[in-house]
Amino acid sequence: MIELENITKKFPGADSFSVDRISFRVNEGNICVFLGPSGCGKTTILRMINRLEEPSSGNIFVNGKNVLEVDPSGLRQSMGYVIQQIGLLPHRTIEQNVGLVPELLGWEADKTRKRVRELLEVMGLKPDEVVRKYPHQLSGGQMQRVGVARAMAADPPIMLMDEPFGAVDPIVRIRLQDEFLSLQQKFQKTICFVTHDINEAIKMGDYLIILNQGRLIQMGSPIDVLTSPADEFVLSLIGEDRGVKILDLTRCETLMEPMRETPDDLMGSGCFVQSIQPVKLALEVMMKKDSDHVAVCREEKVIGLLSWKNIKKHINRVSGEDE
Amino acid sequence: MSFDPGLFMKAMSHQAPPYILEHLNLVLIPMGIAILIALPTGIVITRPGYRHLSPRIMAVFNAGQTIPPLAVIAIFFPFLGLGYGPAILALTIYALMPIARNTITGISTVPEDIKEAARGMGMTSWQVLRRVELPLSVPAIMSGIKTSAVLTVSTAVLAALVGGKGMGAIIFAGINFFQPELILAGTIYIGAMAVFIERFIVLMEWLLSPAHLKG
Amino acid sequence: MSPFYFILNNFSLVLEYAMNHISLVLTVLVLSLSFWIFTGLIISRYDRLASAVISFSNILFCIPSISLFGLFMTMPGFGLGRKTAVVVLVLYAMMPLVRSVYLGVKSVDASVVDAGRGMGMTTSQILLKIRIPMAWPMIFAGIRVSVVLITGIATMATFIGEKNLGRLIHQGITRGNADMIIAGAIIVSLMALLLDYIMGRIQKKIVSPGLRFQPGD
Repeated sequence: MIELENITKKFPGADSFSVDRISFRVNEGNICVFLGPSGCGKTTILRMINRLEEPSSGNIFVNGKNVLEVDPSGLRQSMGYVIQQIGLLPHRTIEQNVGLVPELLGWEADKTRKRVRELLEVMGLKPDEVVRKYPHQLSGGQMQRVGVARAMAADPPIMLMDEPFGAVDPIVRIRLQDEFLSLQQKFQKTICFVTHDINEAIKMGDYLIILNQGRLIQMGSPIDVLTSPADEFVLSLIGEDRGVKILDLTRCETLMEPMRETPDDLMGSGCFVQSIQPVKLALEVMMKKDSDHVAVCREEKVIGLLSWKNIKKHINRVSGEDE
Repeated sequence: MSFDPGLFMKAMSHQAPPYILEHLNLVLIPMGIAILIALPTGIVITRPGYRHLSPRIMAVFNAGQTIPPLAVIAIFFPFLGLGYGPAILALTIYALMPIARNTITGISTVPEDIKEAARGMGMTSWQVLRRVELPLSVPAIMSGIKTSAVLTVSTAVLAALVGGKGMGAIIFAGINFFQPELILAGTIYIGAMAVFIERFIVLMEWLLSPAHLKG
Repeated sequence: MSPFYFILNNFSLVLEYAMNHISLVLTVLVLSLSFWIFTGLIISRYDRLASAVISFSNILFCIPSISLFGLFMTMPGFGLGRKTAVVVLVLYAMMPLVRSVYLGVKSVDASVVDAGRGMGMTTSQILLKIRIPMAWPMIFAGIRVSVVLITGIATMATFIGEKNLGRLIHQGITRGNADMIIAGAIIVSLMALLLDYIMGRIQKKIVSPGLRFQPGD
């Protein structure tokens, strides 16, 4: 667990606070996303958690311990750190890069080697192909994967990630996000994740912390933020397609009308979705099948009916518009 | 060995000054000729038709810089005799190399996409050279001229060995007679010349640089 | 051309001069590397000291070598001979070496250093495991420049009593003997090229292949 208490940061020579009286808590196993425009203080907050920056005032606790009272090197070794520029050491092979923290921690060479291979595999790289290569011989996407593998090398319970997928093209980025989310299902790390991309934030975050000019504007789950944005700033950050974004986060089961049997007109039409799938997918199915309703199933069994009318009502409700 | 302030003052005020103009000639004439030769050569060598030659020419210049300055000064005099001429010829060759090297490096490191953009806007290859490649290479070329000038100011001291006079005369006299006063006086004038010439080149560089590169 | 015959006819003399020359150069090289690489690393930690040291080395470098030889020769405790030659040449090597070490260590990509810090490396681990290995290409460029420089300027030590290849050139001038001058020049150049080549081989061994693609190699 990570806890920030009334943290402020003012850089020498700056006239305003980069981070202004911020408090929040990140629960174990959660991905907490810091979201905001550049200069909002999100990276500075991240860097204060592993003491790459020192707060001007306030306290930071990691698992109950005040980070300002522990040795910074040890603290950083106990957390994974991933940055947008990746920062792989160009003079070291991929194996040596991923094995860096174990090396600092004094692991045996054999244990490190095994761990490196295991991690590269987890990150979707072929160990035999890449271990001997140098960073410049890899593609951008491969380098990002190595960057994440390096951060996870000593199996830290906490990961700090500063726009970790920011340097690759959108297609690769989406794939890396998906892979990372499925890894997170398995490893349940406590993650602080910095981004300026609302879509990435909604997708990755269990919890969002929205910042502007060093101030905390809103915090809450993605759906909370989408359905009740705190102010104009958050609204503009979310963008015009708020309704569509909401549909992406809403499960079909929350909008359906319960039902036991498949209506006759849907029999054998292929017009169905799973209850935990997003409403957006139901819309796609409706369009493809040219139908205004779909059956909602839990595994093999039909449990409800989701119609275009239900969806429209929901959008209007959350957008605060009258029907 | 003792240092005689009186002798030093006399060297500063009477013995060294007559050599100033000679020494400046030994620097400015070779520099002028070297620039006139090196710049066009560098430009020609970086044109598409000749570009494949530039690694070889750079290798020659690199090897040329391993010839000790003493040898460069000495090498012409058995054929041309003592005097100003051989010294100036030798110094010109010495001054040439850093300028040509930096001109070639400067022009060939102008990013390809900038040249591409210029051609895409319809510039002829002459216009690309005149408006893109040369302005962007000014810092590199000027730093070559600077290096060359500083080197030439101190190498010109050796001209005295082959009858080329200059401030070297008083320095070698100091060495031959064990008189640090003479060596120091000559060195101070040379240092002042180096600083003066270097400042002048920095000023020229500032005047020639594209606006965004001006500090 | 008869410089070749000159060398053959005076082989033992030329050999003696060449040996003196290379032993002077190697002495200076060993001393310079140990002093100036160390100095470069030290000043990379202290910015104000760095600018003072680098300006000082620039000034030294602008003084004609013959003046520096002459001034040291007339100082008490130095005089004619090897000690003066070594001190002056070591001072001459200061600029390229200190500068390349300093710039090499300082110009390491900030994001790489940040990643290192973020993973918990201490300042000295960052120096040893990141900054120095990444600075090698630039440091070697400086070493190679200074090797060539020292070999060439060592010829000037003949004026303060060193019996080296500079003497061939100097005597060639006084006697008007072109063969002698050219013989001296060629051997000095070959020596410089050879030392540069050896340094290049050592560089290949030391610099990580991961850095080969960078300019400055």
